[in-house]
Amino acid sequence: MNGLTFHRKVEENTGLLIFGILFVSAIGGLVQLMPVLNQESLETATANTRPYSAVELTGRDIYIREGCSVCHSQQVRPLVAELERYGPYSRAGEFVYDRPFLWGSKRTGPDLHRLAGKYSDDWHRIHLLDPRAVVENSIMPAYPWLAERAASETGNIEAKMTALRRLGHPYTDEEIANAESDLEGVMEIDALIAYLQMLGTGYSAEEESGE
Amino acid sequence: MADMPSGFWSGWIIALTLSSLAGVAWLVWSIYYGRDLQEESEVEPVWDEDLEEGHNPPPLWWFWMLFGALIFTLVYIMLFPGLGNYSGVLNWSQGKRVADSYEDFQANFAEARAEVLNMSLVEIQNDLDLMDTAERLFRRECSACHGPDGRGQANMFPNLHDVDWQWGASAEQIEQSIRGGRNANMIAWQAILGDEGVEQVADYVVNLRQGVDESHPGRAMFQQNCVACHGMDGTGNPALGAPNLTDNIWLYGGDMDAVRETLQQGRFGVMPAFGERLDDMQIKLLIALLVR
Ligand code: HEC
Ligand code: HEC
Ligand code: HEC
Repeated sequence: MNGLTFHRKVEENTGLLIFGILFVSAIGGLVQLMPVLNQESLETATANTRPYSAVELTGRDIYIREGCSVCHSQQVRPLVAELERYGPYSRAGEFVYDRPFLWGSKRTGPDLHRLAGKYSDDWHRIHLLDPRAVVENSIMPAYPWLAERAASETGNIEAKMTALRRLGHPYTDEEIANAESDLEGVMEIDALIAYLQMLGTGYSAEEESGE
Repeated sequence: MADMPSGFWSGWIIALTLSSLAGVAWLVWSIYYGRDLQEESEVEPVWDEDLEEGHNPPPLWWFWMLFGALIFTLVYIMLFPGLGNYSGVLNWSQGKRVADSYEDFQANFAEARAEVLNMSLVEIQNDLDLMDTAERLFRRECSACHGPDGRGQANMFPNLHDVDWQWGASAEQIEQSIRGGRNANMIAWQAILGDEGVEQVADYVVNLRQGVDESHPGRAMFQQNCVACHGMDGTGNPALGAPNLTDNIWLYGGDMDAVRETLQQGRFGVMPAFGERLDDMQIKLLIALLVR
């Protein structure tokens, strides 16, 4: 058999043609996707990455609810300009406890992945309530209601943590049992700030150079 | 750094990639040079009465193009990572590429940096270009808190152009403020002084700059609780970041309401550390911008 007779056979038999197309296009997927699904480094947390605490997890949900990722990405790309502006580029192992990850794709505002420690909690509070109070020409919307609602109203934290534990996040029974009391007296804005202040802390220079 | 698929999945990638390449090569080759190409023409199907398959071979430059692409692919996956855990002859990785180009980028400024680091602060202040750079740097890194012109804002971020320095006005003290950050810590006094105490001490503080006489009811409490940090005469202590309470410059406000609030809830101003974010030259430029 040569290419031409093979070709003819396929051409005369629609079923075979369909199967052939599926088979050939599947190979690309099998080569690209299957190994990645099984790649250990994507499931292995970097040394400093830990699951979100009850307060941070709630802050993260608020971040999602308010659509912050519409304007902010959370991924420092491996480009010189980004290293210079934001710091070390994002590593896969930093996102193992992000379900779903919030990399985003639009930067109306700056990237937030290396935000931790850049500003004080006080600054974040003023900025979230009214960005124009500290950044004259900011076009970021104000989120005044965050200061008026209790963080505990953003859903059932125990259920959330239990579900995440089922997916492999190492929460202890104690952490889950204490989750509700951790949220006592915490307003939404406090939870969001706690989340912002731990963004990008999973990276450690020692670990990278040790590898 | 290298993060390659390993074990079974590496073999999986290699086997599937190479056999697809071989399959494509065979297909292309046999279409042009297959042995039984001519012999089979009599079984050619005929459609719609007279539509027959033509037997003109595709142009030869297609063949070379396809084969060229195959050869390019082979060379490429030999040089660069792509075949399972084989990292390629060039040992290329994205991480290494970024690290190298970042180093090159930094090297561009090595000379300029060394030059600035050798200059005195006064020399820098007299160089208009450098001061421009310093101002741009300030607007980028500091203006979100200290305001675009450094004159402070939001009754929380201090004015850096006035005569009053909470943490000290010398170049060394300013460098410390920038490099290590500052964490001011004044506890809440409500529980200790009570409503009336807070009221009396606040009134004492508000009037301090005009001079208060010895009989002021807040005076004793001030002497007892506040002088350890703010000093006997209330002029402050830069080592603790305790501000001068006898001048007319206030961070959180000097009227009765603001001072009352300061005492009731305490104040914990935080200046983040920039030692890691900025390099030595940038910090020196900022000191030159701020010091007088
Ligand atoms: C309409 C687009 C938009 C949305 C939505 C938005 N931001 Fe922003 N954000 C901006 C812009 C523009 C800036 C830059 C100006 C400034 O600092 O205010 C910014 C700046 C910031 C900064 C300072 C970053 C830095 O490194 O200086 C933080 C933190 C931030 N945003 C958090 C948030 C959070 C949290 C939310 C969701 C509650 C949010 N943003 C929603 C546009 C947006
Ligand atoms: C442990 C040291 C310490 C003690 C004791 C202390 N302070 Fe302070 N005080 C500070 C520091 C540090 C700050 C600056 C806080 C900041 O910048 O966030 C400050 C700030 C203030 C301010 C705000 C000044 C401004 O510019 O807005 C007032 C008012 C004040 N103190 C009054 C008092 C009074 C009255 C007492 C006694 C009841 C007192 N302090 C005791 C350390 C102290
Ligand atoms: C997150 C907001 C924030 C940013 C960003 C920031 N600062 Fe500050 N800075 C503060 C606060 C708040 C204080 C006062 C701390 C206190 O209350 O004592 C301060 C204090 C200072 C002081 C000491 C002032 C004194 O009176 O002794 C200096 C100097 C200073 N900042 C310089 C800078 C420079 C230079 C930058 C930019 C590289 C910068 N700051 C960025 C918040 C900020």
